[in-house]
Amino acid sequence: MADLRIGAGQRTAGRTGTGTLAVITSERTAGTTTGTSFRKSAGRSLQKAAGKALRNSAAIVLLLGLWEALPRLGVVDRVFVPPISTDLAAWWDLLVSGRLTEHFQASLLRSLAGFGLAIVLAVPLGLLIGWYRPLNDFLTPVLELFRNTSAVALLPVFILIFGLGETSKVVFVFYACSWPILLNTISGVRTVEPLLIKSARSLGLGPIRLFRKVVLPAAVPTIFTGVRLAGAHSILVLLFAEMVGARAGLGYLINDAQAGFRIPDMYAGIITISLLGLLFNLLLLALQRRFSTWRVS
Amino acid sequence: MTITLDSRTATRTKIGIREVSRVFDSPDGGPPFVAMDGVTLDVREGEFLTLVGPSGCGKSTLLEMIAGLTSPSSGEIVIDGTPVTGPGLDRGIVFQQYALFPWRTALSNIEFGLEAKAVPRRERAELARHYLDLVGLSGFEHRHPHELSGGMRQRVAIARSLAFDPDVLLMDEPFAALDAQTRESLQEELLTIWEKTGKTVVFITHGIDEALYLGQRVAVMSSRPGRILTTVETPFDSREGDLRADPTFGEYRHHLWTLLRPETAGPTGSGRLRVVTHDG
Ligand SMILES: Nc1ncnc2c1ncn2[C@@H]1O[C@H](COP(=O)(O)OP(=O)(O)OP(=O)(O)O)[C@@H](O)[C@H]1O
Ligand SMILES: [Mg+2]
Repeated sequence: MADLRIGAGQRTAGRTGTGTLAVITSERTAGTTTGTSFRKSAGRSLQKAAGKALRNSAAIVLLLGLWEALPRLGVVDRVFVPPISTDLAAWWDLLVSGRLTEHFQASLLRSLAGFGLAIVLAVPLGLLIGWYRPLNDFLTPVLELFRNTSAVALLPVFILIFGLGETSKVVFVFYACSWPILLNTISGVRTVEPLLIKSARSLGLGPIRLFRKVVLPAAVPTIFTGVRLAGAHSILVLLFAEMVGARAGLGYLINDAQAGFRIPDMYAGIITISLLGLLFNLLLLALQRRFSTWRVS
Repeated sequence: MTITLDSRTATRTKIGIREVSRVFDSPDGGPPFVAMDGVTLDVREGEFLTLVGPSGCGKSTLLEMIAGLTSPSSGEIVIDGTPVTGPGLDRGIVFQQYALFPWRTALSNIEFGLEAKAVPRRERAELARHYLDLVGLSGFEHRHPHELSGGMRQRVAIARSLAFDPDVLLMDEPFAALDAQTRESLQEELLTIWEKTGKTVVFITHGIDEALYLGQRVAVMSSRPGRILTTVETPFDSREGDLRADPTFGEYRHHLWTLLRPETAGPTGSGRLRVVTHDG
């Protein structure tokens, strides 16, 4: 069931995103699958887990091998796709010079600020909308309209209002992250098993305790699915914003390196962003698992 | 085990169901759906009443109305003479589908009703453990519902409704999902608890045997729209020995079977059995 929801969410992500974003989204899906199979193997013997890890990393090793070999063999142009060793060397240089850290930090702070703000505001709002049916009925058309409006399409509006500085980027990330959290929270509250509500009501619980003791815990897994989606969004859309107009950040680094024809630097930026995305997702996945152990997978 | 049904003589009405009808609006705007029509039934204080009837005749609906979860479309339900206006901790309901909270462990599911009753934490845990033990699940305190079998879940649900000690126990086919052996032992357990506590029990079942074995009285409902066809007093004074092998048991079973046959529309003749119709 959890996976189904994630699937539905990914569809939303695909719809919101532009072509580029959609591609990155599917990468994220691959990350999810790895996480799930990892969980399953944890229960089995250590040996099997080790075998699995080897098989999982085998694909990565193969990819890296091809990345190294193909440019060297001249199958692909090594000017546009330098061998991985060259890219990693560039990555190391960027790290040592402190420039990578600087860009990394800029991106991380922006995405965390927008993401955090979205959690703090969208979860309570979603609970409110999900719980009060009239409010939900009233707002549904507007929510449908906004969720189907790509956040990326609104970036020029944010820049117009908040300028090219930090504010517009944080607001942009906040906006993009709010939707999956808000919509999942609403549906989490609205789809609580009616029998559980009946059961709690039969035990004499009033509306407030009913909400606190039944609706909220029942909705937590669905809310977390939204939070995880938002975590992925936060990096995707920020990257886009940084490519459009910024003086720092990984998006800026990638774009700037490409414009200046420092191709290995560009790949160094790309590698960093994909590692960051992976890390974010794994972290949120672990958190989600911790908060919804009771959910039957 | 000897259970003497001495409360049969008690006549005080615990639950009074007066001319209760329940109509559901049809979702497609068609004519309203009459699920139950003019049900009248008195459940005596301390009585163990079983309720049988064809599927869809409104047994669960009736139980939910007694619990105060839904209201009758017309008519009235009174408990101790006071009309039911909503749910309360004087009534405990065990649902047809085990309605456990999946994020809570077996133990804390049982504690749920005690929390609602504001029982202190320590006492809560103690009581919950006692009832978990009673339904034969000690050792499973910290399992979540999805880690329990269907029968175990149902036992947790039963323990939960027993734990907060309601006067009235409303049970909707609680043993339907259990294997024969577990069912029998829980039936005995339930009778023991009932005998000890003097609770009033309304017990829905599909099983004629179960209805006869457990009930002091069996109320038979007709198919849609649900009505009370008759109530049948069971003649057994104790549950000692293999009651089901008693020839009288067989006669009663056959009688109930005849009543529940689809062809049998109205109240049928009683033959040589003592049949008490609700309005007679
Ligand atoms: N909320 C509802 N809305 C519309 N119709 C309902 C609703 N609840 C029950 N019904 C209808 O009322 C009738 C009685 O339902 P109920 O669940 O009480 O039957 P039951 O006797 O418990 O059946 P079973 O033995 O199969 O559990 C059914 O025909 C059902 O379709
Ligand atoms: Mg039913």
